[in-house]
Amino acid sequence: MSCEITSKDRAGIINPMFDCQPAGAQYAGIGVKDSIPLVHGGQGCSMFVRLLFAQHFKENFDIASTSLHEESAVFGGNKRMEEGVQVLVNRYPELRVIPIITTCSTEVIGDDVEGTINVLNRWLKENHPDRKVHLVPVHTPSFKGSHVSGYDECVKAMVKTMSKTKAKPNGKLNVFPGWVNPGDVALLKSYLKDMGVDATVFMDTEDFDSPMLPDKTNHTHGRTTVEDFQGAPNAVGSIALARYEGASAAEYLRDEFEVPAIVSPTPYGIKNTDDMLEAISRLTGKEIPDSLVRERGIALDALQDLAHMFFADKKVALFGHPDLVIGLAQFCREVQLKPVLLLLGDDNNKYKKDPRILELKNSVEHDMEIVCNADLWDLERRIRDKEVELDLIMGHSKGRYIAIDNNIPMVRVGFPTFDRAGLYRKPTIGYKGAMELGEAIANALFAHMEYNKNKEWILNTW
Amino acid sequence: MPMVLLKCDKDIPEREKHIYLKAPDEDTRDYLPLSNAATIPGTLSERGCAFCGAKLVIGGVLKDTIQMIHGPLGCAYDTWHTKRYPTDNGHFNMKYVWSTDMKESHIVFGGEKRLEKSMHEAFDAMPDVKRMIVYTTCPTALIGDDIKAVAKKVMDARPDVDVFTVECPGFSGVSQSKGHHVLNIGWINEKVGTLEPEITSPYTMNFIGDFNIQGDTQLLQTYWDRLGIQVIAHFTGNGTYDDLRKMHRAQLNVVNCARSSGYIANELKKQYGIPRLDIDSWGFNYMAEGIRKICAFFGIEEKGEALIAEEYALWKPKLDWYKERLKGTRMAIWTGGPRLWHWTKSVEDDLGVEVVAMSSKFGHEEDFEKVIARGREGTYYIDDGNELEFFEIIDLVKPDVIFTGPRVGELVKKQHIPYVNGHAYHNGPYMGFEGFVNLARDMYNAVNNPLLKLAAKDIRGANRIAYKEAAE
Repeated sequence: MSCEITSKDRAGIINPMFDCQPAGAQYAGIGVKDSIPLVHGGQGCSMFVRLLFAQHFKENFDIASTSLHEESAVFGGNKRMEEGVQVLVNRYPELRVIPIITTCSTEVIGDDVEGTINVLNRWLKENHPDRKVHLVPVHTPSFKGSHVSGYDECVKAMVKTMSKTKAKPNGKLNVFPGWVNPGDVALLKSYLKDMGVDATVFMDTEDFDSPMLPDKTNHTHGRTTVEDFQGAPNAVGSIALARYEGASAAEYLRDEFEVPAIVSPTPYGIKNTDDMLEAISRLTGKEIPDSLVRERGIALDALQDLAHMFFADKKVALFGHPDLVIGLAQFCREVQLKPVLLLLGDDNNKYKKDPRILELKNSVEHDMEIVCNADLWDLERRIRDKEVELDLIMGHSKGRYIAIDNNIPMVRVGFPTFDRAGLYRKPTIGYKGAMELGEAIANALFAHMEYNKNKEWILNTW
Repeated sequence: MPMVLLKCDKDIPEREKHIYLKAPDEDTRDYLPLSNAATIPGTLSERGCAFCGAKLVIGGVLKDTIQMIHGPLGCAYDTWHTKRYPTDNGHFNMKYVWSTDMKESHIVFGGEKRLEKSMHEAFDAMPDVKRMIVYTTCPTALIGDDIKAVAKKVMDARPDVDVFTVECPGFSGVSQSKGHHVLNIGWINEKVGTLEPEITSPYTMNFIGDFNIQGDTQLLQTYWDRLGIQVIAHFTGNGTYDDLRKMHRAQLNVVNCARSSGYIANELKKQYGIPRLDIDSWGFNYMAEGIRKICAFFGIEEKGEALIAEEYALWKPKLDWYKERLKGTRMAIWTGGPRLWHWTKSVEDDLGVEVVAMSSKFGHEEDFEKVIARGREGTYYIDDGNELEFFEIIDLVKPDVIFTGPRVGELVKKQHIPYVNGHAYHNGPYMGFEGFVNLARDMYNAVNNPLLKLAAKDIRGANRIAYKEAAE
């Protein structure tokens, strides 16, 4: 029994697990109210990403491009950035935040984002003296990291730009949930409310799931405001739920403004949720209420029906964001599933030192491989070559054909999950999320048993 | 009523030259929108990039070819799981994408070795696949990697493979359009004529500019099979790399997408004397006209008439059922360009639908000549439309249905306007006789949808007030 940590042994990628840094920065930027990210580069760098968000959320999000063309690629694109900001500010009177996101092209040609922002701030003062528009420099060369690190970078950049001064304490808790679904944010907010904690979620994406209303108004936008960022230094503390997605912003607030910060285990599964609630309790002095003891118990009750009957010894492969994959591996072990293959899809060399991975490595009692810098061919090839035999895959929809072609049940988690309906609404974190995930796994296995006539008659009296 | 300056464009007044409202008695030559010009930054234009035009739209359709994207991983991720071009070999083209995963060190020291290694790995991973197209992207173009030289080296090392290269960084040109051009011209200059087809019919053609969206090409192929016409190559729907090397042997080039693929048809005429026949393979009556022209060219008119009669018998009653119900429906088309001029008159003739606003992402002047020639008076013709303009246009023309991409469809849903996916379709195929009935069905089901009426109802009745957001 061993846990091996390896890396992709190819130079190239076949079927990438993540998008590039600017895509992640755009995801962070759309979570802010009255914000339109401006992507400084070729037009595909924003159009494709807008499509990606539409795939996952089935909604439109506003993102602009500086439309880098040949001339500016050769002679510099600062003017495109300037014009892009001016056009946005002139045409969108409510606009308050513009994350200016670099791409591979504009990082290679070395455009001066900060210098251009200085020029633009003078322009704003002259032309819109009654408005304050926050221009946020976000450096996200796509030849480093992935959309995970790009998200982290943009959250941090927005905090740095807008959380400027410490004033009197506001009694609030800063919450950095990482790259999660609106359903996760809604659940988290209900937990905080139940605990009596006044909190600000960075970013509050609950309204990404927006209604179709009689008055035809559109409410698809982030709820986190400029004022929320401005208040962040006055908080009682910060809790970051994802080490690779927003933790650096919490650490910045700690280092700069002495806001206490806890980087909690990402709350997938029961124990991680316990730890999160205890951490929140520690930071705020609030007690964990009975309602959550009850919700925890209902989740355990549901999972207990499934674990040793259907889940025990089943082999699972997991891919997606690192905090998600590690958290889900921990959850799997709680319900007796065996995570045998974990794929982490970028070149971050911190994974090998992640305490959660080291804990897994030291404690698993079955063979497990953790592949860093992986692509989805790493999964497909292992299945093809029979290096791994799987009962379940958990991952995002771009891996769907691996499951379909190999007749392996798959539960969609993470981002993007466009080939199933409504998943952005379902929590995967917390007690409720653990229950919903466990039930999604069971139902996927059940449907698979029926289609494959594999003891389908067993589903009667469990 | 010539060109239009929309309210939302008062601070970018140059947009006036791109928007035409067709009015009676105008000489439309005076009002041709400016097109294929630079994009204004920060507008939320709908445009994509040249790499998209080459890989996603044309090259990536092929069913037997590795699509090696030389650049950081994003350009690969972004052009994967986004298209609907099935094949008859298990959709290899939609299942995989390849990237050279450029890193900072390759930006500094060059990426050619990285590309070469990735190419070998890709061929090794899938030993049955022997064809590849390599594309540059923004950064690999900027640092000047010589992908053609690398491809030659790989072909020398692996004599059983063939590789084509395209220089298509996202910043070249102003839209997807440049990518079409570069791929077309590169292909005819380097690959056409390098392989000979087996001729199995006295009648041979290429079908140029059709990308098998939801099986369009495969539906049209049933016509060519019934007519006994051999298609040497489809450019590029359900196509193979090697078929495209044989294009020089066709007697006729039938063109649907004149925008993306007219280039290669023109060059085939110039270099090999193959005539170019432009048709509309969307539109019921257009399809009959196209088949008549093709059959007239080959002298097989009776066969054509027989096929048309069968298709009319099968599908015309259904089409007319929809026409009865869709008559007077107001439609907008916000797509790439050509579907504007393929559809405006065909939905009008065959379905009684009025197209009241059209926007083209990347059309050229000739696309606007075509659409304005065929389109109605009182209709807006927009080049490179942007999001605020779309809202204003909706207020002006009040469409009943919009044919556009899914993201914009989700946006206009909030205004209770249904959409049909004008790019990748809802339930296609949409080409051919049957296809236009499919389009009509989707339009009918979009418009006649109980949810739209339910959404309009305010259950608070007379006490209705503006919707309050949760936190307010």
